[in-house]
Amino acid sequence: MALSIALNVSQLAFVLLLSPLFAGILARCKEIVQSKRGPSLLQPYRDLRKLFGKDERVPQDSSWIFRATPYVVFVVPLIVTLLIPVLTDFPLFLAFAGDMLAAGFIFAISGFFFTLAAIDGGNPYGAMGASRTRMVGFLAEPVIIVVLFTVSFVANSTIPYIVQQHWVHPIANFFSPSHILLLIAFFMIILAETGKLPVDNPSGHFELAMIDESKVLEFSGRGAALIKYGGYMKFTVLAVVFLNVLLTPWGLAQAGSPADVALAVMAVALKIVALSLGIVIVESSFAKLRLFRIAEFLGAAFVVSVTAMVTQLLRL
Amino acid sequence: MILAIPLLAVLAALWCAIPRAGRAAPAVTVLAAIAVLSLSIRLLWTLSGGGTLTVIRGWVELNSLAALLLTLIALVYATAALFSWGYLASDATSESRIRLYHANFNLFAFSMLSIPMLNEIGLVWIFVELTSLLSILLVSFAISADALEAAWKYMVLTLLGATIAVLGVLVLYWALHATGSTEFTWDGLHAAAARMPHALLGFAFVLLLVGYGAKIGLVPLHTWLPDAHSQAPSPVCAMLSGIETSVILYVVLRLRNVFAGDPSLHVGAWFVVLGLISVGAAALLLTQTQDYKRLFAFSTVEHMGIILTAAGLLTPAGDVAAVWQLLAHSATKSLCFYAAGVTLIATGTRDIAAIRGLLGTSRFAAAALLFGALAIGGAPPFAVFLSELAILRAGLLAHAYVLVALLAFFIVVAFFGLLWHVTNMVAGPPESEPRRRRIPLTCAWALLLAALPVVILGVWLPQGLAQALESAARVLGAA
Amino acid sequence: MSLLSELNALALGLFIISTIAMTVTRQIGACIQIFVVQSLLLAASAFLLGASTPSWHLIALGCVTVIGKAISIPWLLRALVPSEIHRTRELSQTIDAPTALLAALGLTLLGYAFGAHIVGAAPNLSSGNVSMGIAALLVGLLLLAVRIEAVPQLLGILAMENGAFLAGIAIAPDFPLIAELAIAFDVLLLGFIVALLTRAAYRRIGTTEVGGLSALRERIK
Repeated sequence: MALSIALNVSQLAFVLLLSPLFAGILARCKEIVQSKRGPSLLQPYRDLRKLFGKDERVPQDSSWIFRATPYVVFVVPLIVTLLIPVLTDFPLFLAFAGDMLAAGFIFAISGFFFTLAAIDGGNPYGAMGASRTRMVGFLAEPVIIVVLFTVSFVANSTIPYIVQQHWVHPIANFFSPSHILLLIAFFMIILAETGKLPVDNPSGHFELAMIDESKVLEFSGRGAALIKYGGYMKFTVLAVVFLNVLLTPWGLAQAGSPADVALAVMAVALKIVALSLGIVIVESSFAKLRLFRIAEFLGAAFVVSVTAMVTQLLRL
Repeated sequence: MILAIPLLAVLAALWCAIPRAGRAAPAVTVLAAIAVLSLSIRLLWTLSGGGTLTVIRGWVELNSLAALLLTLIALVYATAALFSWGYLASDATSESRIRLYHANFNLFAFSMLSIPMLNEIGLVWIFVELTSLLSILLVSFAISADALEAAWKYMVLTLLGATIAVLGVLVLYWALHATGSTEFTWDGLHAAAARMPHALLGFAFVLLLVGYGAKIGLVPLHTWLPDAHSQAPSPVCAMLSGIETSVILYVVLRLRNVFAGDPSLHVGAWFVVLGLISVGAAALLLTQTQDYKRLFAFSTVEHMGIILTAAGLLTPAGDVAAVWQLLAHSATKSLCFYAAGVTLIATGTRDIAAIRGLLGTSRFAAAALLFGALAIGGAPPFAVFLSELAILRAGLLAHAYVLVALLAFFIVVAFFGLLWHVTNMVAGPPESEPRRRRIPLTCAWALLLAALPVVILGVWLPQGLAQALESAARVLGAA
Repeated sequence: MSLLSELNALALGLFIISTIAMTVTRQIGACIQIFVVQSLLLAASAFLLGASTPSWHLIALGCVTVIGKAISIPWLLRALVPSEIHRTRELSQTIDAPTALLAALGLTLLGYAFGAHIVGAAPNLSSGNVSMGIAALLVGLLLLAVRIEAVPQLLGILAMENGAFLAGIAIAPDFPLIAELAIAFDVLLLGFIVALLTRAAYRRIGTTEVGGLSALRERIK
């Protein structure tokens, strides 16, 4: 029990402490690919410290939702962390509480609050961003559902610890078409949900073209810091789900010894960096889609996910 | 010796492709066609009593039906070659284009001559696709916007059909394999048909009927036919309408009995329904058209429907009538398009409304057009009249009274539609100053030659030919 | 499930995805590339089935497909179709892309269901090939209906043919080789003739949206 709690805490610490670093690495790599020097790897930490130190300003007519949202956005990825295999490949203390579907719903809570807060703030760009995020969300929803259905279909479970084991026992499962197509579909969903190109430009500064960023405009000080932090962690958690549950279920701690956990931290961090490199390649080779083309991008993801299901059916 | 029939066409095509020697392209084509015709007639003579001539076992085998088809193709090939000579000359087409035309024309004839000779279903499919491919550029020969549109529609729909048909061929092969046989020939299929899995047989039937049906011009898939058959040069129209559709229909008829053994497929009912829809739609569309070449093209759709309906009766009498109608239609339809061709030469327009008083402008074209319309409409004493009568009689013998009534009604509608349009063009005072253009001599000769069998078969069916019809119907082998 | 059949199933999945992608791609160049990918996947499926049977027929068919479809057709199109057409972007479509995607998915599922039904009649073969072949045939039909540009329409016909052969390599692996060669020849001839026709249309009409032409029809008086 104590060990389990300790491991859970270390998982939380992993997400909490390293998420800004991963964001820094992603930003740096992108700049380097574009022949620029790029900011320091630690820049996200500095940004957060600066924002935490600043005064918070809240729009006059906003309600409690606006004030509560940063905390919701910050806490939600941490709750999901408790459910998924971040460092260990055996279920921990709270893993019984929810499966992959639950993780999706919990993320939906933060999306819900974030949308309301963006409208609550009264800034017209906020409402615009909120409606666009919803559009992306609505279109991504069926893909996520079909992906999860297919996963449960293939592995007979949606509990991440079981799914994870399924792909590598036996290893032929890893090469099954439904697995590979699932990966493609889920990768496209990560791009859409974390606001990466070609769906959204995370480094854009033009309010009219923003999707995700425009919702943050009204937040300042601690609120902005928490939201930014929550965003970093959301990416890390989604990457962890993608990597540890679907793509590369190796390198996790099999037992609870500190050495095992330390190795797992290294391995998982390396995997996330590798995934970031993949995202950098995608982001540098695609232009941002026009808003109405996003439907086509997610439609493509949907096609891939349905095909994953069909190919699974074909094997029966 | 038999293989010389298609090879002669290839040789002629090669000759026409040679830059210098190509000057004589029209003459070479005509000579090759006449040689092919005489060989085919001899073949028909030997096979008319029945029996099979095996040239390459399992690949090239001929029977009376095949010989009949070959003769028909060769007949139209010969008259169309003759007609092309004068038709292209009247148009001041450049010499290199004339050469290319004839090269392509001969290859097209080659692809059609090969189909009845072949026995292997896969190869038959390949040559069916070749007939499409090799005629696309002939349809677009005029390179006008309309011709290109027609050629494109023709290409898309017929190749679409061919692609669907190839899956049907593959499924049929699969079904054949399921019985343990590997003999993928007409006879092999007939022998194994009863043991094939029903689901596969049904699937193959639908695919083949849709696929080849698109190429015959059965009604929901007919849209390309009036376009292609009106925009191509007239001799090519004669080939397309007169024999290409007939040859594909021959393939469908030979496949019929593979499926007809399975009563749950209702092959006869499919044939009759699709046939009647084609006849009815074509007869009604025919009255609406404004282009006299489209008029004859719709008449082709109508006749394909009539033949399919006759074959759908699944009786020996129906089969004889269907083969007879195939023969009569091919001979007559080529004549119609030659008549349309000389009308086009004489008037320079395809628009029915623009032509009035053709009798005053060009007596020959007017007579040919009227003659063609009467013959294809089914007026006595021409070949189509007798064959249509045979079909109606076969229908009555099979107690399909509704079918006969509908068929007779549509035939009458089509007859009056044709005649109404053509008499409008022929009779009356000329509206404008006639632009007199001489009809080339070869065109006139081709027309007269094509008219010969139409007239002769209308009054007298030679003993040998009647025998060939009987044995050809036995090859189809209904019930 | 052996590794070969897993890989074959993967090739099938990617095959149908590439067919659907051809339906919505907006650039002719990309469309041709996707067609090449699709043909290579057909060849891959032939190789995989050929290796597991083992059957020389299928390996030969795979080679014929690579040479005929993946190499020659793009080459013919590049050589004969004016380069302005290759650079065309933003092709017009008769229905918008998301709707086309959904329709394509529906057809895929239909093809799957139908294939599963058919395969029940004669088991012991790669059932996925039949299902996905029929699905690709249906999606190819959709492609022909959605696209009005000449080159994508040609590719639609060829994609349908690929679908037919994808089913064919499973259901008729020992189809006479002479027929296969002749079929490959047919495909080349098709590419050549259609490329010529496209060029003629471009020069004569100034557009290659030939599927949208409708000057020829009956007019009700």
